[in-house]
Order: sequence, then structure tokens, then C-alpha cells
Amino acid sequence: MIENKYDEDELKNKSINELTHLFMDIIHEQNILLIEGIESLVKNDFTKFKNNLECVAQTTTEVQVKKVFESKIFKAKLMFSKADRLKLFSKINDIKNIGEYLTNRMLLYRVIFPDNEFKLQLSSILKSLKLISNELTIAVKLIGDDLEKAYDICEEIKEERRKMRMEEWELLNRLYNYDMDYISRTFLYLKNMIEDIMMLADHIKNFSEYIQFLSAKYLIFK
Amino acid sequence: MASDFTQLIIVVLIILAIGLAFSIGANDETLSALVGTGALKFKLALLIGGIAIGSGMIITSGGFVAKTVGSDILGKGLTYSTSMLLTVLISSIIWLVIGSFAGIPLSSTHSLVGSVVGVVIVYSITQEVVSPENAFNWDKLGSVILSWFFSPLFGFVITYLLFRILAKFYLSRLKGLNQIEKAERSFKWLLLVAIIFAEIWVGANSGEALGILYGLLDNGSLAVQEYFFYAVICGIFAFLGIYIAARFVIRNLASQMTDSRPSEGLIIQTSSAIILMIATLFGLPISHSHVIVFCIIGMNIAQKKEVEYKYLGKMGIFWILTFPIAALLAGIIYFSFSTISFI
Repeated sequence: MIENKYDEDELKNKSINELTHLFMDIIHEQNILLIEGIESLVKNDFTKFKNNLECVAQTTTEVQVKKVFESKIFKAKLMFSKADRLKLFSKINDIKNIGEYLTNRMLLYRVIFPDNEFKLQLSSILKSLKLISNELTIAVKLIGDDLEKAYDICEEIKEERRKMRMEEWELLNRLYNYDMDYISRTFLYLKNMIEDIMMLADHIKNFSEYIQFLSAKYLIFK
Repeated sequence: MASDFTQLIIVVLIILAIGLAFSIGANDETLSALVGTGALKFKLALLIGGIAIGSGMIITSGGFVAKTVGSDILGKGLTYSTSMLLTVLISSIIWLVIGSFAGIPLSSTHSLVGSVVGVVIVYSITQEVVSPENAFNWDKLGSVILSWFFSPLFGFVITYLLFRILAKFYLSRLKGLNQIEKAERSFKWLLLVAIIFAEIWVGANSGEALGILYGLLDNGSLAVQEYFFYAVICGIFAFLGIYIAARFVIRNLASQMTDSRPSEGLIIQTSSAIILMIATLFGLPISHSHVIVFCIIGMNIAQKKEVEYKYLGKMGIFWILTFPIAALLAGIIYFSFSTISFI
């Protein structure tokens, strides 16, 4: 479970690298909570869905880490990678922003899935989302120690995203062409949910491309 | 005893030579790579760079490039008259100013030597004291002109090889950003050493100012002690050029270099310093900017980056044209002066 508050001094003693890793861990944890929350919704477990999503919406520990990071990066004696590290951090932050947006939209309405096949397809997409979120966390942590490995992991993320995209269009197709008509609120809710998941997955893919850009920029091949 | 008018020209020449030394410092961008890494505080970097360029100029003032420009380039028994030196300076200043207004990067070295050639040719034709064939030390002049072609090429090759070697045995083994940062922190201090080394040889190879003074020494207008006194003054003004005037261009360039790696700067500066050192020891005045441009190209090619050949081609044309145009301009000015009996 996400810690409520970090010790300020402990945070200040962490390096830029450690703060980035911690920030990534917090955001990743929130992402997993969000995905598991949606999975609970698919299983009609509304209590877990609500708890998970409210936890994501209310947690602010990442703000604490962000503030310490920002105050440290400007004083850091990093020479040429300062701008890139700052951008990396802001890209992690964007995951939180998109996740928060998705969370708040999903909390607006209590949906009941009318279609079992839809549920199965959505579960498959959520599984892929969890996978790419995990891989992205590993890739971000590898930037400091092994850019080559980070590059390879990002390649896997992009491959998984390609697979996901096809499933997402199939899901939207199913939504628009379902035999029975949904009530308009349900239709709108499900459509927005799929599009928001696509947005989050796209951001993860773009982020992985940025990590690959960093690898190409910094690595000098023989 | 020289006439009052000649005395006046000598004073003007000394002032212009000192002004040239100041402009050499003011146009020097070598420090930007160092300032960009943040290795030293800005003012300290200017101070160190200024001292290095001034020292280079003073230490080598007894011969080398100054002697080549001020004496060795001329044929046996021929020395510059004060009016010839004045024309050389006026012509190269005019050509450099035209270049600046047109936005064309020109070499002050090529411009000065070109002006010398133009003035001496017109002098030998109009004064009939010496024939144009004997007016020059052709071996020396030939070596100087050849060095203009070879120095950028050597700069390119040395940079390319140094980078390939460093990449193969060290840089390619750095896997993560943390390792790279740590290694580059060490390169930052090596870059400081390389920049000081480069600045010394930039000062030593800047023959424009001291070449004029050496010409005055060679024709007897200046005594040896006076020459060395003014050489020291030139060194001090080169220092002031960096400290007072170059700071703006250095700060501007450095702000664009925060992303560049100290290891790259180290290789480029070391290569150009080696070329400048060899050229100086052989008494060959070469263009620092031409060498640096080719070092950067060598680095880009070694890193498999794109090179803007179109821009390079345009720049190459102006590089080649500088010498003949400066010679022509100087010849015309000298001829005009002698026609109106100004000199």
C-alpha cells in the first residue's frame, strides 16, 4: 500500500537517481491500483473498485517527492544530463496526471457491464496495460545503470502496445455494434474508459520511445 | 632619423597591432566548451583563458609565427616599409569588416598574409627595387599556404582517430547514465587542461599583431627591447580581449553547450591544440577557426552524425577566396597610396 507521508529529511538525503526511482515506484503502484480497480469493476466488485480508485485520487505522496526532486535538480552537479533527467521526471508525472483523470472520470458513474465478451476483452487489455506499466518501471530504473537493456525493454513495450491497439479497436467496435442498445450513460462511460486507457497506454509507449532516444543519445557504440 | 610622418605611422602601427591583439582575445571562443560544462566559475575561466592566451603570445614572440609574418615570408634582403605594414593592416581590416557585415566567417590570418602578398607584389613592380620573383621567400610562403590546407585536414583526422580510440576502449563500455555522468566529470578536468593548452597555442599562433611589430623590428623602426615591451603589451591586451570583450560570445555559446559532453570538447580542443602547436613550432600562421571547424566535422563523422556539406561548401569558397581578394585589395590600396604620393 502507498505510504501516506515520507520523512522530509530522508527524502532530502536521497540522490537524484533514487528520487526518480522512488517517484516511479509511487506512480507505478498507483497505476497498478487503478488497473486492479478496473479489473474489480469487471468482476462487479464495486467496493474494491471504489477503494482503489479513491486511493489513487487522494494520494499525494508523489507531490512530496516531486518537490524535493525539483529543489535538488537545480543545485545538482550534473553536467549535461540535467535537462534530460528533468524531462524524464515530468514524463513520469504525466502518467500520474493521465491516471488521475481516468480515475476521476470512472468514479463519476457506477456502470454495469451488459456483455460478457466485452468484459473478457477488457480484461485482456488491462493485463497488457499492467505488463507495459511494469516494464516501463524496470526500464526507467535501468536508465542509470544499463541503457542498452532499457532500450530492449522499451522495444517490448512498443510491441505489446501494438497488440493492445488492435484489441482496443475491436473493443470499441463491439461497443458501437452491440446487438442490444446500451443506455446512453453506459455507452458514454465505456467509450470514455476505453479511450482513456488508450491514452494512458499511448503515453507509456511515447515514454518508452523517449527512453530509447536517451539510449541513442548517450550510448556510444563500438 | 625618421621623419615625423614616419614616426606617426609607426605609432599608429603599434596602436593597431595592440588593437589586433585585443581583437584576437575578443574573438576567441575556445573557453565556451569549458564554461558550458560548469567546471569553473565564469570569471575564473576568463581569467585563466586570458592568462593562457597572453602567455602564449609573449613566450613565442621572439620568433615562430611573428618572425614568419614579419620577416621570413619576404625575399632575401627585403624588409617592410612602415607604409607597407600600414597598407597590410588597413587592407586586412577592411576585408574582415566587409566579411563581418556580409555575415561571412573569414580568417584574419589568411587575410593578413594575403594582404602582405598583394602589397609586396605591387611594391616590387612599382618600386623596381626587387623583382616579384625575388620579393618572396617562396619556400616559406609555399609552406604557409600548404599549411592552410593541411592543418584542417590533420585536425579532422586527429579528432576522428582520437574519438574512435576513446570510444572503442572506454566510452562504449559506459552502459548507464550514472556511469557516463561520472566519467564525464573526470573529463571535465582534463578539458580544463586541454583548454589551457589550446589557449596558449592560440595566442602563440596569432601572428597578426606580433607579425606587424616584428616587421617594425626587422626594418629597424623598433629596437629589440621596444619590440619585447610591445609584445608584452600585446599579450596583456589579448588577455583583456578575452576578459572584457569575449565574455559575451563565450557566455552565449556556453549556454548552447550545456548538453554537450566534456569528452567531446576534450578531443576537439586537444586535436586543434596539437595542430596549432605543430604549426607554431614550424613558424606557420594558420587559421584556428578552420582547424576547429574540421575537428568538429571529424567528431561528427566519427559519431556517425550528419554534416551540413552545403553550408561547408559555401564556407570553403570564402576560405579560398579570402587570400586572393585580400591580396588584390591590398595591392589596389598600396598602388593608390603610391599614386597619390601618400607614402
